[in-house]
Amino acid sequence: MRVRLIYSPDVVEKPILAEAVLKTGLPINILEAKVNAQKGELVVSIPSTGKKLEEVLKIFKEAGVQIQKFTEILQIDYERCTSCGACISPCPTQALKFGPDWTLEFDEEKCVACRTCVNACPVKAMSLP
Amino acid sequence: MTESVEKIRSIEEINEKIKHGDAVVLTAEEMIKLAESSGIEVAAKEVDIVTAGTFGAMCSSGVFLNFGHSDPPIKMTKCWLNDVPVYKGLAAVDGYLGATALSETRGFEYGGGHVIEDLVSGKEIELRAESYGTDCYPRRHIETVITIDDLNQAILVNPRNCYQKYDAATNSTDRVLYTYMGTLLPNYGNVTFAGAGQLNPLCKDWNYETIGIGTRIFLGGGIGYIIGEGTQHSPQSGFGTLMVRGDLKQMNSRYLRGASFYRYGVTLYVGVGIPIPIINERVAYTASLRDDQIPVNIRDYGVPSRPDLRPIVKQVTYAELRSGKVTIGEKEVPSSSLSSYKMAREISEVLKKWILEGIFFLTKPVEPLPRKREFKPLKVRRKELRVRDAMRREVVTAKPDDEVKEAAKRIVAKGIDHLPVINTDDKLIGIVTSWDLARAIANNKKYLSEIMTRRVITARENESIDVVARRMAQYNISGIPVIDDNYRVTGILTTDDISRKIVGRRTTI
Repeated sequence: MRVRLIYSPDVVEKPILAEAVLKTGLPINILEAKVNAQKGELVVSIPSTGKKLEEVLKIFKEAGVQIQKFTEILQIDYERCTSCGACISPCPTQALKFGPDWTLEFDEEKCVACRTCVNACPVKAMSLP
Repeated sequence: MTESVEKIRSIEEINEKIKHGDAVVLTAEEMIKLAESSGIEVAAKEVDIVTAGTFGAMCSSGVFLNFGHSDPPIKMTKCWLNDVPVYKGLAAVDGYLGATALSETRGFEYGGGHVIEDLVSGKEIELRAESYGTDCYPRRHIETVITIDDLNQAILVNPRNCYQKYDAATNSTDRVLYTYMGTLLPNYGNVTFAGAGQLNPLCKDWNYETIGIGTRIFLGGGIGYIIGEGTQHSPQSGFGTLMVRGDLKQMNSRYLRGASFYRYGVTLYVGVGIPIPIINERVAYTASLRDDQIPVNIRDYGVPSRPDLRPIVKQVTYAELRSGKVTIGEKEVPSSSLSSYKMAREISEVLKKWILEGIFFLTKPVEPLPRKREFKPLKVRRKELRVRDAMRREVVTAKPDDEVKEAAKRIVAKGIDHLPVINTDDKLIGIVTSWDLARAIANNKKYLSEIMTRRVITARENESIDVVARRMAQYNISGIPVIDDNYRVTGILTTDDISRKIVGRRTTI
């Protein structure tokens, strides 16, 4: 599951993510990070579901980190998309690839909504809300 | 061709077969499979035609338009379609709309390629034109709306299409580059490539034995013709090109797409399909060429030189590029195409279908295409500004253990804004600006080593001013130290120096 973690100034310097990894043993993957002395925002992928996932989210909540469900979902207009591939290699998280018949495929779970593909698409077939 | 090979079949014989529904037509992919399983000899005997296709950005594309005469008539001297300028150095109501022309109101978002797509889709297009007015053409201004049906002619004439192959691109620099080869991530972060490789028509007739002037082709979903070699045709190095024409009114926007390359410009994706008659075994062999037999150079677009001078990072094949990963140095780098392999396949299928249905016949070229053509660069014969012509040679420098206050005094005394910091070997290790010093004083910093910028953007004496001016704009800096091979500062160039020189040389009032 992908979530956005928002760190307030009070907690931004604490190693909360590292603690969550150590406590749960889950290899939480940081997909995107914007951190400075005032605040931090991470997009992470937590490879878990159900009870275990609840456990991880609880650790963040109790440490004062705000959790947002990831709602930005890339839309591909397959009427316009020519499956050229211009979006594939620039994608920083390898969320785009060719399927067996060379049609562009999108893996929502890997996407961090960075808009790189939206800009890279020559025929404006990609959009993000 | 010096070596002669036995002729297997003629175009006339193939056309007879098409007429009777007996022609054996394979797509390039099917031909590769057959050659692999049964060998070239069998494939050459069995197959009459191989269909090849490509679908990619082809900037040298455009359309000749005839608008018809209004009443009163106008000799259009300037003309726009949806705010995209149309070339008007032709007769009164003839024009040429080029694929890369930018909209004067929407910039990189919309251009000639998009107007062509919109025309083919039957959309209404705003036509605006101006003139100086003459006795025979009194009108000076016109504004109206047209569709493709209103035009007398709309003829796609593309001076350079269908590149046989194309160098792939990567980026060695530390910032993202936005190029005609797409988005190139820093530090060799990705590789992009163009061309259909084993489906490309010119790869399938590598020796130009069957295609030539007059060859009937699939163009943009309609029928087109090869009208000659394309510009920059360089067949001896595997970079052949075609000039093609076709009636835009017969075409389909599925195979003609306006496109924008982010922060680069606009273009047109064109679908081209060509039937390759298997007239002999040698053509059968090239028609069976696979991606892994077609070499491609990966060039570093981080070096802002002309295409053939960009350093070759590695030679690979289309097969490696299409696998999605190539190795550069120790690193595995994602690679992806800019032209659509899926659409190239579709085009070779459509062309095959047309032939099998008996609605597309082959033509015998009236003249072959040249098999050798020199591809020359443009020589610049006028003296051009280099960094050494505009830089200042007397450079005031500082040492990292100099005090902020002393440095501030020095820049005030010398009336400068940039202070390169050098070490005891005279090597450049940092830079401070007057703004850095002001901030340092406000924050009570003592030594330059605490405040200097250590990653210094530099220039070389023999670099072009244009290249360095662009670098300064990109990094948002107003001064750049000029260094030699030993990292010693030989000069400094500021935006003031550049504007002084450029005003002196380029402006004519």
